Amino acid sequence: MMSGKRVNPIPKIVAFVFLLAMAIIWIVPLLWGIVTSFKSEIELQTVGFKFLPIEWVLSNYTSLLVDNASTPLIRWFTNSLVISVSHTLLVLIIVTLSAFAFSRLEFRGKRLLFSFLMATMMFPAVVNLIPLYKIIDLFGWVNSPIAMIVPGAAGVFNIFLVRQFMNNIPIEFDEAARMDGATDFQILRKVILPLIKPVLLVVSLFSFTGSWNDFLWPSIVFNDVDKMPITPALQLLQGMYQSQPTLLMAGALIAIVPTFILYLFAQKYFLDSMSLSAGVKG
Amino acid sequence: METVPATKRVKQVKMKQSKKSSFTPWLFLAPHLIIFGIFFLIPIFFGIYISFTEWDLISSPTFVGLDNYKEILLQSDSIFYEQLHTGLKNTFLFVLFVVPFCILVPLLLASALNSKPMFWKFFQSLFYLPSLFAISAVIIIWTLMFNVTYGPINNIFHLDTVWTGTQPYAWIALVIVTVWWSIGGNMIIYQAALNGISKDFYEAADIDGASAFQKFMKITLPSIRGQILYTVVITTIAHFNVYGQPLMLTGGGPTDSTRVLLMYIQQNAFGSGQSIAGIASAMAVILGLCIMVVASLQFFFLREKKN
Repeated sequence: MMSGKRVNPIPKIVAFVFLLAMAIIWIVPLLWGIVTSFKSEIELQTVGFKFLPIEWVLSNYTSLLVDNASTPLIRWFTNSLVISVSHTLLVLIIVTLSAFAFSRLEFRGKRLLFSFLMATMMFPAVVNLIPLYKIIDLFGWVNSPIAMIVPGAAGVFNIFLVRQFMNNIPIEFDEAARMDGATDFQILRKVILPLIKPVLLVVSLFSFTGSWNDFLWPSIVFNDVDKMPITPALQLLQGMYQSQPTLLMAGALIAIVPTFILYLFAQKYFLDSMSLSAGVKG
Repeated sequence: METVPATKRVKQVKMKQSKKSSFTPWLFLAPHLIIFGIFFLIPIFFGIYISFTEWDLISSPTFVGLDNYKEILLQSDSIFYEQLHTGLKNTFLFVLFVVPFCILVPLLLASALNSKPMFWKFFQSLFYLPSLFAISAVIIIWTLMFNVTYGPINNIFHLDTVWTGTQPYAWIALVIVTVWWSIGGNMIIYQAALNGISKDFYEAADIDGASAFQKFMKITLPSIRGQILYTVVITTIAHFNVYGQPLMLTGGGPTDSTRVLLMYIQQNAFGSGQSIAGIASAMAVILGLCIMVVASLQFFFLREKKN
């Protein structure tokens, strides 16, 4: 039997050619969007089909950023930041506390409660949409960032994820601390928390991008243009500037900058997290 | 001398500890449970209840029994009957068109990436990237791609196709955008799964002279069956909730042929004019039931067969 590595290069070449072809499909829309955002409207509509701008202009960006009356882009962007950061922090706190109870503490009905929470993941969220709006309205949170910060923290998937991670930490660690007289909360803070940072980072990335990219829910709970986050606001922008693709493109690109930057810095964690979340379920 | 196994001892101490203050676990659980109760549990029951009422979102709902369901399911002269049937049909069509590609394309990409050719890390990052973008931004980018006069697609291929305004191009456009936007997650899941398959299987198959296709069907697919089941179910559920793409790319057109149920639900409950939240809720319940039934069927037919 031949064990000498006579690797057949053909599959690798086929794979490369296929990936290259697909990569072109994936990258062209992005590049096209970027160059278009630096073209003037007149050039786009009169010069005809051309990839690079004849004259690079910043007017699409400046007019969006300067004209604060009809398109408060900076405002939308800030609203999104406030919402996504607050939502992420809230989720981190709530999920850590809850996962700790399920992983480390004993109480009556623990298994039942956990199974019940997990089972609710199967429930289609679309049924909640209308009543949830009414509840937000009753609390006076329509047009308030709270409407996007708090309700999303009801999710249970992150609890499952963090609990799984905590379960892998030996119980002896808690035990040693408990012998020294540490309370449950101290154990969580001093022993567990430093060890679960990787999974908390994953939860943060998901929560931040999920909140930043949320579309349907904010388009329902915000009707005040100044209070909106940027993702649903782009739909307004589309309505206003239907005939000005260059301007729209500048707006769209500004809206994807934060998640893009996050991806640049935490790419490994994004990719790991996908397999992590599928691994525990799959 | 008495010796107690370590695990047992731990459990005893733990039990003692928790008996001393058996309400502390609930302090840890309370923040989530309160939010969960108010923003998930109550809305579920409230949502099902209002589907049996006539309601305008403002005054108190009037109980009307099964009237909403009768109207949207059976009363063929009602506009809401029309909406439910159009919306549900288009939602199902969307799922039917999109889900196979959202499984197949990432599976092919993952298989190709798995052979680790040149620049595979760059390719991987690129394919995953769009799934981090907001759908509204994605649609703005693709609206330009599909533009009739200065869109790259028509210009490169010398077409004058009205992509978003005529069929079947509107569906094709929606499928392209959705695949481009959303396959990243599935691709990573398949990559991890493929990495886990032992090389020995393939080497044994090579000795037996198996073709690449045979290897894929007999080794690869069975080995990642669990991940395929998982992705089929979550992908289907996700795409039943389609809203942003048809809303912003085709506007539900041409002539409502891509108007999905969630667009009708949104319009009836929150659109301009008086809210028809009862009818909208009944539509949402029906959509929810469809999602649960389809997901269960998939689970039933694709699950691991245990002899």
